[in-house]
Amino acid sequence: MSLPKRIIKETERLMAEPVPGISAVPHEDNLRYFDVLIHGPSQSPYEGGHFKLELFLPDDYPMTPPKIRFLTKIYHPNIDRLGRICLDVLKSNWSPALQIRTILLSIQALLGAPNPDDPLANDVAQRWKEDEKAAIETARQWTQEYAKPA
Amino acid sequence: MDAPGLGERPHKKRRFFAEDSSPPAVQPVRHETPPQSPTPAQPSEIPSDGDQDANGGIQDGFDVGLLQAVIGEVEPSVLWVLKDRSGNDVQRAINIFLDGSWKKTLIPAPLVQPTARPASVQSTLMNKLTRQDSEMSNASTPSSGASTPMLPSLRTMPAKRYIGSFGVVGWATKSGKGLIKHEDKVRIERTKPTGHLKQTGRGGKARAPPVSRQRQDVVVRFTNERGEEIGRLENESAAWVSTLMDQKVCSFEGSCVYAPDKIRTSDTIYLQLRGYFLRSGFDKKGFVKMDNNRTTGFFEEKESQDEKDLRLRQVALVKLFEAINLQPARINSTAEQHKREGLLQAAERAEQKKASKNGGDKTGAEKEPGSSPPSDEPEEEGEELEQDQLDSLYKKAQSFDFNTPVMEPAETFAMDLRKYQKQALYWMVGKEKDQALEEREVSMHPLWEEYAWPTQDADNHPMPVVDDQTMFYVNPYSGELSLEFPVQEQNCLGGILADEMGLGKTIEMLSLIHTHRTELSNGSSSATVNSLPRLPKNSTAVERAPYTTLVVAPMSLLAQWHSEAEKASKQGTLKAMLYYGSEKSVNLQKLCCEANGANAPNVIITSYGTVLSEFNQVAALEGNRGSHGGIFSLDYFRIILDEAHFIKNRQSKTAKACYELQARHRWVLTGTPIVNRLEDLFSLVRFLKVEPWSNFSFWKTFITVPFESKDFIRALDVVQTVLEPLVLRRTKDMKTPDGQALVPLPPRTIEIDKIKLSQDERDVYDYIFWRAKDVFKANAEAGTLLKSYTTIFAQILRLRQSCCNPILTRKKDIVTDEEDAAFASDLANGLADDMDLSSLIERFTAEGDQDVNKFGAHVLKQIQDEADSECPICSEEPMIEQAVTGCWHSACKTCLLNYINHQRDKGEVPRCFNCREPINARDVFEVVRHDHISQDPSTFSLTTPLDSAPPASQTPKISLRRIGLSGSAKTQALVTDLKNIRREHPKMKSVVFSQFTSFLDLIEPALTRDHIPFLRFDGSISQKARAHILTEFRDSPKPLVLLLSLRAGGVGLNLTCAERVFMMDPWWSFAVEAQAIDRVHRMGQENEVRVKRFVVEGSIEEKMLRIQERKKFLATSLGMMSDEEKRVARIEDIKELLS
Repeated sequence: MSLPKRIIKETERLMAEPVPGISAVPHEDNLRYFDVLIHGPSQSPYEGGHFKLELFLPDDYPMTPPKIRFLTKIYHPNIDRLGRICLDVLKSNWSPALQIRTILLSIQALLGAPNPDDPLANDVAQRWKEDEKAAIETARQWTQEYAKPA
Repeated sequence: MDAPGLGERPHKKRRFFAEDSSPPAVQPVRHETPPQSPTPAQPSEIPSDGDQDANGGIQDGFDVGLLQAVIGEVEPSVLWVLKDRSGNDVQRAINIFLDGSWKKTLIPAPLVQPTARPASVQSTLMNKLTRQDSEMSNASTPSSGASTPMLPSLRTMPAKRYIGSFGVVGWATKSGKGLIKHEDKVRIERTKPTGHLKQTGRGGKARAPPVSRQRQDVVVRFTNERGEEIGRLENESAAWVSTLMDQKVCSFEGSCVYAPDKIRTSDTIYLQLRGYFLRSGFDKKGFVKMDNNRTTGFFEEKESQDEKDLRLRQVALVKLFEAINLQPARINSTAEQHKREGLLQAAERAEQKKASKNGGDKTGAEKEPGSSPPSDEPEEEGEELEQDQLDSLYKKAQSFDFNTPVMEPAETFAMDLRKYQKQALYWMVGKEKDQALEEREVSMHPLWEEYAWPTQDADNHPMPVVDDQTMFYVNPYSGELSLEFPVQEQNCLGGILADEMGLGKTIEMLSLIHTHRTELSNGSSSATVNSLPRLPKNSTAVERAPYTTLVVAPMSLLAQWHSEAEKASKQGTLKAMLYYGSEKSVNLQKLCCEANGANAPNVIITSYGTVLSEFNQVAALEGNRGSHGGIFSLDYFRIILDEAHFIKNRQSKTAKACYELQARHRWVLTGTPIVNRLEDLFSLVRFLKVEPWSNFSFWKTFITVPFESKDFIRALDVVQTVLEPLVLRRTKDMKTPDGQALVPLPPRTIEIDKIKLSQDERDVYDYIFWRAKDVFKANAEAGTLLKSYTTIFAQILRLRQSCCNPILTRKKDIVTDEEDAAFASDLANGLADDMDLSSLIERFTAEGDQDVNKFGAHVLKQIQDEADSECPICSEEPMIEQAVTGCWHSACKTCLLNYINHQRDKGEVPRCFNCREPINARDVFEVVRHDHISQDPSTFSLTTPLDSAPPASQTPKISLRRIGLSGSAKTQALVTDLKNIRREHPKMKSVVFSQFTSFLDLIEPALTRDHIPFLRFDGSISQKARAHILTEFRDSPKPLVLLLSLRAGGVGLNLTCAERVFMMDPWWSFAVEAQAIDRVHRMGQENEVRVKRFVVEGSIEEKMLRIQERKKFLATSLGMMSDEEKRVARIEDIKELLS
């Protein structure tokens, strides 16, 4: 199946004008499959961490949103143990006008602003609500432990 | 001698004989009236020593009927003498006859005992011969009209020559002993006029003359050497023997084979007769030339005296040859036996016909051309040809010789001819110059048979041999005899160009006009005058127009002729002129006459209607052609009738008017010389003046009658002989011997474009589909399929229409009554269904207000600015068919609609992809850029209604349109294609076919909206407007689109200026579609033609394509099945359609 023009264009632009702190590289054998790396935003518990994600563009993209998952272990109320992300634009608020770039930016923003009121990982959210400081500390530790730049 | 001058020969002659139907002994004398005709016939029946022209005066005040009533039947020569000597006084003539004084100064013509005086016969003939010599007679060979003089051979022929012997049976009218015995010579005589009485006197006997021969005296008596009458021949043989004797074809000598010693009345006597052909039988008979009296009324005459004589003579000759068992040495076509049977049959049939009709239809039809014209065309006669008969006939006529030499057109001709067109030119020039006369091997006229003179008689005694006369020739169709070899040959200096449509008949004809024309200085006064007896002789004002070709064509093709004529000619080498409507004010005679040669138009193009109306005008002027100054005032160099099947009905006024046109060369162009009756061809032949076929009696006898008596093979064979030398016909699918197509056309590609219906359309379609299926199922279960055929078919029709545009199904006129009834019952049962349908359609047609102004100018501006930006959904740049949401966010139309559908499918409320505002699918607008429109407003066709101006804004080239408004999926697909064509080929013209004119009605506004200039052509448009439309389509520099209904796209349309064809809906048989496509893809098309057939995916149309492939419907449409069978077959198809 030939790659839609949209995907080609997005890929080209991700390469040509990369967003600071974000990279997405398609697999050579499957151009719909991307290796993504997001730098943790500064002034966040994830600062200094390099988080790996995988991104897959389904067949009916951009009618349906891309499928994205953290590969790097991360301590975040909206990201579960399996790396799944709770983010509205990846679900009901998806619009075909959104792109890989915008989605990744959203994820980056999510790291900077966790939302424990709409949790995916309930235990993490609980901690975050009860003892935000300790939670942030755990997150920092995890970042140190799991998201060290290679 | 009170002989009137040659030119004053009275025309009433024929009428006289037609009225006098009595004694066959009086030979009708036929006159060839046109004095300048190359082959005038000589009346040859009067073997008198007087000036033969005097016999024309026989009836002048001289009551032959009365005379013969008193003195009985006498030879015409005697009649003449009596008349002459009595000074036209009947009473005196009777006296002279009775007292015998008339014989004294005259060598008596054989009156009562023709065979008894061979010497006198001889001298009579001698007299005649010298007379004819002195007159430089140029009697022609029979029937072919060839002008070979016959006299030299006639002169060497003995007065009579043995032809054969045969046995006959006679019966005695006398009793007595020793009246006659074996080997006694008997004389064979025609009976005395009083024989009538004697015959009836024998009433009650089985041998009484048959009633069918009533009034026809056939009594043949035989006498012994003492001159005593012994008896008569049996009627069976007497019937034809008498004819041969009466018509001076034969004489007979007899000898007694057996007679009882003592004879009693009605005893049987056996005779052996020796037949001799008389020299007079070989003299020119008038038959062929009987057609002199060319009034239009003539043709209605059912059977004239001439025809009757012909018939009798024909039968008699056939019977004679049968009796003497003489076989032809050579004949041309079918087996002799077959031929003869046919002849007898034809003659009998004519007899029956005459008896049954008996004058009834004579009166009505006989009309002077000037009298009030019948408003409608007379009914056509003749049986229709079956398709296969027509096919085989055409097949025969199409044996085109690919080795025909080519001829290069004249320098002045500006177009390139293909090889076969150059061959046509060679053939046509050959026909016009009649080269057939000089070269080419001589073949026998097909209607003639060759016979050898017997060298021995029945008793093996050698017969005298005449030098150079071993053969004689018989035309069993006309009963003519000849000593000369009858050459097949046409003296018609023209013909029928019947190339199939699209092979370029017009171009071929124009090349002829260029190549064979009269040189200016050349004033040769060749004999071309076809004088018209109907017109007063002093109307000498018909001028020759030696430089002018008259083209008569249907009105719609006039302009085409004119422009083709100009296109085909180098600048200034050909003057073509339309003679029609307002151009008619010129005086053609002054313009075209020889004196004005330098300025005369080379081609005058006029319509059949004009010919007819001027014909009526000339008729009103009592035939004074010259003073009228119109079409009829000239004798043209050449006349061409285009689409000549216009005159296929010989009774029609138009045909009659065309016959009266005068010209040296006559041509007819038609793709179908025979439409469905053999008589169609006759009218063409009549126009071409091909002798003898242009004589309707001749035609009828040899073609119509055999055909009507189901002797098809023979009739068609004869037709073929008529056609062969006259017709040039090639078809498009002909291949040259090396396998090349006759006409290599540029390639043609047909592409099927599968259309996806919009959801709303699909809902309507599905609804109708299930309803149709239910109806079908219900009827199939009830076994009432055939009964409800119409209902089901109407459903199918609706289905097909809903594929085009659901609105079509709402049209009242296509809903049959039955269906309304079905609807009514549905309504009673479940109202919901119907409401559902209407609401579905409503949904489809809901358009909301078209006022896009509410978006405001700034929105448009913004959208225009975005024009080149990429689609946020598919990243196409620029967007493909940009569309905007109600919140003014744009994307490709399909992307946007896809997304809306995607959300709908998930059960979500559609929202804007950009701002997430809820949006309604109805509130999506196409951005219409009118960039395909030519900037020059003057290029807009006047017939194209201009769209109301786009919304007033700074961006006049953009407007917004609610999606769905642009019509059905098909319409949209069409418009999209047309726009693309416009962008890629700014000048290209397209043709759009649909079988539903109502669909064309819906396509029109869609084109209008998108500023695509178009023209419309369908059956509702008047002839005049049609021509105008076609001209405009062809000549306009604009990239026009022509909307055509499949049906009206019929006759002769040439749309080669277009290169794209769109078939909006499939027809049951692809042949019909192919025919439509061929309007564009035909001769003259220089570019590749691309055809797009729109077919809705997953619909009845796809199934129709499958049926097309099976060609089942083709078979039904050819009339191979009865109506009932057709229905059954169609039910099968419907089953498939609804599967």
